[in-house]
Amino acid sequence: MNVIEKLATREDLISPGISACIGCNVELTLRTVMKILGPNTVLAIPPGCMGGVGVVGWNKQSGAKVPVFFPLLDNTASMLSGIRLGYEAQGRHDINVVAFAGDGATVDAGFQALSGAAERGDRILYICYDNEGYMNTGYQRSSSTSRGAWTSTTPVSKNGTGGKRQHKKDFPMIMAMHDIPYMASASPAYVQDLVRKVETAMAVTEGLAYIHIYNPCLTGWGIKSEESIEVARKAVKSRYFPLFEARHRKVKINVKTRNPIPVSDYLRDIKKFRHLGEAEIQELQRITDERYTFLEAMERVSEEA
Amino acid sequence: MSTVDVLNGNKAAAWAARLARPQVIAAYPITPQTPVVEYLTQFYADGQLQCQMSEVDSEHSAMSILTGASLTGVRCYTATSSQGLALMYEPYFRASTLRLPIVMNIVNREMISPQTVWGGPQDSLTLRDAGWLQLYVEDNQEILDTTVQAFRIAEHPEVLLPINVCYDGFYLSHMSERVEIPEQEEVDEFLPPYTSKHILLDPERPAAVDPLTSGYLLREYRKKHMAAQQAARRVITEVNASYADRFGRDWGGLIEQYRMEDAKYAVVTLGSVTGAVREIIDHKRNAGIPVGLVKVRSLRPFPSREVAEALGRIESLGVIDRNVSFGWNTGILFQELRSALFASENRPAYIPFVGGLGGEDITLDLVNSAVDQIVENASSGNQIESAVWLETNDARSLS
Repeated sequence: MNVIEKLATREDLISPGISACIGCNVELTLRTVMKILGPNTVLAIPPGCMGGVGVVGWNKQSGAKVPVFFPLLDNTASMLSGIRLGYEAQGRHDINVVAFAGDGATVDAGFQALSGAAERGDRILYICYDNEGYMNTGYQRSSSTSRGAWTSTTPVSKNGTGGKRQHKKDFPMIMAMHDIPYMASASPAYVQDLVRKVETAMAVTEGLAYIHIYNPCLTGWGIKSEESIEVARKAVKSRYFPLFEARHRKVKINVKTRNPIPVSDYLRDIKKFRHLGEAEIQELQRITDERYTFLEAMERVSEEA
Repeated sequence: MSTVDVLNGNKAAAWAARLARPQVIAAYPITPQTPVVEYLTQFYADGQLQCQMSEVDSEHSAMSILTGASLTGVRCYTATSSQGLALMYEPYFRASTLRLPIVMNIVNREMISPQTVWGGPQDSLTLRDAGWLQLYVEDNQEILDTTVQAFRIAEHPEVLLPINVCYDGFYLSHMSERVEIPEQEEVDEFLPPYTSKHILLDPERPAAVDPLTSGYLLREYRKKHMAAQQAARRVITEVNASYADRFGRDWGGLIEQYRMEDAKYAVVTLGSVTGAVREIIDHKRNAGIPVGLVKVRSLRPFPSREVAEALGRIESLGVIDRNVSFGWNTGILFQELRSALFASENRPAYIPFVGGLGGEDITLDLVNSAVDQIVENASSGNQIESAVWLETNDARSLS
């Protein structure tokens, strides 16, 4: 069965009518992921877009058709560790214990809890939807926001100066360096790759599995709703967000980009980068090249090992 | 039957946790609680404690893990102190408002600054309004007995609240005393396994736990939570009585009274300083001075009725606080007590003593001096509103 057939036949475990922005690709990603995970799943949705749009239920109606709850912003991983231990204590080993968390809850406030769970080898599946900031509260910066990007806490002056002063934290690599059994980066523009990665992560029985999905935000970034998947694809094609996976440090790049498009092509359709000058664009190109070179080197070392 | 051993307070707490058969333990070491974690992990390594044991990255994660585990319906235990408690404040408040019957010993330690590691209940008393039940104990036997009782109190269907059993760092945590350890079978009969019927994450019964609410729902949650705190007054008393029947040790439930029958004067205490106060009460009684002691065991719920009754005929009293309430210029227990007495017909003279901060000793001399001041204050009937400090450098001699 191919991916399209699979997704067509699986039950949609997110109720209709959740109030995400029109064309939100995080909603699409959540529905896709949940079709793969199935009903034997406990779902943690920390405060963030998917919590805000009602996936944790509203007015006595559940937004998800599986057990779902709000962790605190900073304890998603540790609450899930506890849920796993509670089920283990009762001899129930087959339940998917899953986080679907934004980048704020993951790379910022929730990082210590996540790092601790990864180090302990707690058997949870942690999925981060990275839309580069605190988007449901009005687009504040996170450590996952790209350099130069306008956010409501890294504003741009009338002369066009400003934006975030630091580069995006390389979080997929940070998680890979935890020596966990499975780490993958994914994109809503590469659904087949995403589905395979969720299936791989579900099958992990020894330790934590982590998937980092890059989800461009229509309203917060300033993208036309019909272009959001294309923007996500350009992030991969420009190597700004490469798709790779790591099994205990063994790195494999999944979507090869032998002739990458310039990063400026990726940035062009995104309003939050519109004020950037040539030097700032070149700086984003530089970090992209540097990180990709490092990633390729790791893949080479993995192949030799 | 029971085994007699010599245990420090931390080992007494670890023994109680072991006897209660928790299914999940998550704990992070912090002075002076650290040995509790070491004893438990040793019990676990030796196969004497069967549970899921998580050696976590922080107290925040410890309480978060227990919150998650408790949501699957299992019995949970941890322990902490001071800065660790402060770090876990966020999931701490939530454990009570989610009505999860987690048991946590707090090995009382001062809050910094100035930098300190020594004893004092400032840590847990500061969090008295975070919705947990809080019991305070005087010696190591009481640590063990009360911690075992705590599981039954917390898991009682009319309570379903998390509970702290608090004991003084170093004075109890690191001092050894004779302690009777009950037999496992006896504890098993006293404490049946926990099953959650009120809140559960289970794919076989899908539900949204803790969705976003409006004010009217939050109001209902708070009303029920407050009612559960009140229900705990009766449950704490009943569980104490049931424990006394089975194990032969009665700790008094919400409060304990000592030589209060015909007392005109009283000292009100919390925690390990009670031992020194008992000594002085005996000493003063031998000298013909009718003084007694009220030890507050339950700070949450606060036993306002029981305290008011116990102090109903007292002319003059003093409260010994090993902590401060900033902004009131007294200790915290004093403020609680004064609130409880406001509805009472008897309005005795009172003195808010504060001393023993940062692990400083509250000596017999200091307690003796405090009782003298309580007696003196009876004639003037003063209701003193500002802290009277128990300071060793101007202590009066026992002789």
